Amino acid sequence: MILRATGIKQFFRVSSALIILGLAAEILSLLWFHPLAFVLFAFVGVSLIGLGILVYLVSLVFAVFPPAGNRG
Amino acid sequence: MLGTLIALIVLTMVLAIVFLVRPTVTVSPREKILAFMALFILPGLCVGGGMATHMQRSEQTRFCISCHAMTPYGESLYVDDRQYIPAAHFQNHRIPVETACYACHADYTIYGPLKDKLQGIIRIYMQYVSSPPQMISIRGGYSNLQCLHCHGGARSFEADPIHQAIMDTLKSNQTSCISSGCHDTVHNVAALSQVKFWRPVQ
Repeated sequence: MILRATGIKQFFRVSSALIILGLAAEILSLLWFHPLAFVLFAFVGVSLIGLGILVYLVSLVFAVFPPAGNRG
Repeated sequence: MLGTLIALIVLTMVLAIVFLVRPTVTVSPREKILAFMALFILPGLCVGGGMATHMQRSEQTRFCISCHAMTPYGESLYVDDRQYIPAAHFQNHRIPVETACYACHADYTIYGPLKDKLQGIIRIYMQYVSSPPQMISIRGGYSNLQCLHCHGGARSFEADPIHQAIMDTLKSNQTSCISSGCHDTVHNVAALSQVKFWRPVQ
């Protein structure tokens, strides 16, 4: 019910923010040559990106699209 | 490779920023496809590329010895003594120098790289969270299969009368190559302060 009441905009914002944070962690891990860089990538980067993708996919199923005359 | 991946990540970030700032842009089908690319396909590609890069990077010798505990093992590759098995292999390029550790310690099975990565994560946990062991050892011991990956079938190995006599036990891992008194000087890091080192010509 709560999900259905949430608009697509909120889902997109959350999804984008998670993906941006995850990608930033991935860039850091790629520029840092250390065994801990893999941990940063696998446990922080991949988790955030994965969660972002999941939120996006959930939005396709549950989000409420705004009416045609109320977009923009 | 790394440059291309970073360019792809930056492109994905830029597109994601567009959807963060203006999430209402997904009105037309074309914009919906763009959102699908920016929030599903491209991040997936970035994760795949990142994983491949990290897996490839973790095969490098300098990656392995970047861990403090592994430094003496890296130094042992330069011992000026042919009895030291890793040093003899490394200095004579019998294994790829850039991936020396991986060449002799990788698990050459289908899920080997994954198992090795898991072992690496356990070691990172021991290093930073619990306490690292006094003596670093390989879980389950060093398998002959890692030697036989290269030496198995090689004429110099097969023609040796000692190897011929115990071939079955070598292949079944009953007789260890490195701890049965034959090739038993491996890294031997405890004695590094008493040995001479070879320095390659720059």
